[in-house]
Amino acid sequence: MADASWVPGACSIVGIGTTDFSKASGRSPLTLAAQASLAALADAGIDRRDVDGIVRCDMDLVAPPALADSLGVRDLTYWGEAGPGGSGPAAMVGQAVAAIRAGLASTVVVFRSLNGRSGNRYGLVGERGAVGGDGSYDEFFLPFGMQTPGQFFAVVARRYAHEHGLSIDELSHGLGSIALAARAHANSNPDAQFFDRAMTRDDYLASRMLSDPLRLFDFCLETDGAAAVVVTTTERARDLAGSAVPILSVAQGTGHGVQPGQMFPALLRPSTTSWPSAAAAPTLFGRAGVSASDIDVAQIYDCFTITALIQLEDYGFAPRGTAAGLTDADLSVGGVLPLNTSGGHLSEGYIHGMNHVVEGVRQIRGTSTNQVAGAELSLVTSAPPPGASALILGADR
Amino acid sequence: MTDPTAPLLPVTDDVDTGGFFLAAARGELAIRICSECRADLHLPRECCPHCGAFSREWRPVSGTGTLYSWTVVHHQVHPAFPVPYTVVLVEVDDTDGVRLVSRIAGCPDLEVGQPMEVWFEQVGDVTLPQWRPTATQEESA
Ligand SMILES: [Zn+2]
Repeated sequence: MADASWVPGACSIVGIGTTDFSKASGRSPLTLAAQASLAALADAGIDRRDVDGIVRCDMDLVAPPALADSLGVRDLTYWGEAGPGGSGPAAMVGQAVAAIRAGLASTVVVFRSLNGRSGNRYGLVGERGAVGGDGSYDEFFLPFGMQTPGQFFAVVARRYAHEHGLSIDELSHGLGSIALAARAHANSNPDAQFFDRAMTRDDYLASRMLSDPLRLFDFCLETDGAAAVVVTTTERARDLAGSAVPILSVAQGTGHGVQPGQMFPALLRPSTTSWPSAAAAPTLFGRAGVSASDIDVAQIYDCFTITALIQLEDYGFAPRGTAAGLTDADLSVGGVLPLNTSGGHLSEGYIHGMNHVVEGVRQIRGTSTNQVAGAELSLVTSAPPPGASALILGADR
Repeated sequence: MTDPTAPLLPVTDDVDTGGFFLAAARGELAIRICSECRADLHLPRECCPHCGAFSREWRPVSGTGTLYSWTVVHHQVHPAFPVPYTVVLVEVDDTDGVRLVSRIAGCPDLEVGQPMEVWFEQVGDVTLPQWRPTATQEESA
C-alpha cells in the first residue's frame, strides 16, 4: 500500500563508516560499533556529541544507550531497532528517517556490529536437550535435522530448480555467476576479506559441497566488524561538510502467509521460492517513482547465492525462473546489473547487510572501488526470510 | 545433559505445539485445525489467520505425503547428527499444503514429488514423526 505522505529525498545519508573486516577483531562489539560510528560521524563532519538518535539491529549485542555513552552523546532522545537480523538494515535506515520526520531526533546513527566469526557464530547448533517452544517453532526443525541457514537455503535452492525446470547444473551456473561477480568485485576492494583471492568458475564448482546443492562459495563469510551510517534531513545536510546522499525510498514488506517463528518456518509458506522482497518491491519503486529498469547498481542481500538469485526476480531484474541464466559479466560493472560491487557478504564480509548500505552510498558518491560510471540510482536490499526491507539512494540534484 | 552426542529433542509441552508430540506418542500424526473454518493451521497456534477464531482442535491426518524438496548435509554441525544425512521437506496428503521436516540417514535417491510415508521414531521419552520414501510393493514383499 503506497503511502502518500512519503517524501522522496527528505532525508539523506551524510556519513558512512566501517571497521576493518576480520576473522578475529580482538575487540568487543561495543568497541567495533563506536569505531564505525565515529568514522561515519567524521565522514559527515558532525560532532559526535550532537547525535540524538541511534537505531540498531534487533540481534545486535550493543544497546543504544551504551553506544551513545561511548560516543559522548549529550542526550539520546530517540532509539529504536529493526530486524529480524538481515532483514533489518534498510528498515533501520527507514526508522531513522521516520524518527527525524516525526521530530523525535535530528541526527541518527544506524549501525550493525558483530563478532560474527570469533564471537557468536551463525550456523552452529549449540543446543542440548529439549529445543523449541514459546513461539520459536524450533521444535519442528532442529530435532529433525534442519539446523542451519545453509541447510534451509539448500532446500529452497533445490525447490527453485524443480519449479523452474532447471537441472542442478543449470542452477549452479546461476549461483556461480553471483559468487564470481562478488569475488571479482572483492578482488579490487582492499577492504574486502577476499581482496587477494581470485576465483574461477572451476574453483567455484570444485569447492566443497556443504549442503547439496549449495557449496562452500555459495555461503557468506563469517566476519568480525561493524558498519554505520548517519542520517539527517537533506536540508541540514546541505550545510555539512560531507557528501550527502538522499534517501529516495525505503520500504518494508512481509507479504501474506509468512508463518510465525523466524527462518526455518519459511519452508512452510505457500511459496518457498519468492520472498517478502516481492511484497516490498512495488512499495519501494512506487515511493521513489522509478522502476527496476532505472536502477544503475544494486547491493542485494547475499547471505547465500540463492538468496540474491531469488531477490533478482523479486525486484524485477529478471523474469521468474530466469535469473540462473545471468552470467557473472551481466552482474559486473559494465554489465546489465552491477551487483554487490564491494564483494557483498560472499566476498567482502558479512556485516548483516549494513555493509551493503555503505556501498550503496559510495556508488552515488562515485567513490566505490568498483564504481559504476554516472550511477544515479542505487538499490540496497535487506533480506528474507522473515520480512524484507530495501532502500533506493539517488544523486542530490 | 553433558553428552555432546545426546540427541536434540523437541519441547513437548508447549501450549501451541505440544499436541503434535502428544499425538505422535500415541502413534498418530495430527495437525492443528481451526474449529470454526476447519482450515489446517501448521505451524500450530490458536489464532486462525483465515477467520480470526481461536481454538485448540487437532485433526488426525494420513501418514502419507509427497516430497517437496531436500538437501544432503555434508558439513557436520551437531555431533548428534552424523553426516552425510538428508533433510527432507514433505507435503502431507489430505491437508491444506501442510509440510513437515524429517531426517533420513545417508543420501538416498530422491525425486521431488515422490510418495513418502511417516514412521514414528522413539528417542528417549519423545516420539518423532519421521518420513521416508514409501516402500514399493517389491520392497515390502
Ligand atoms: Zn478459521
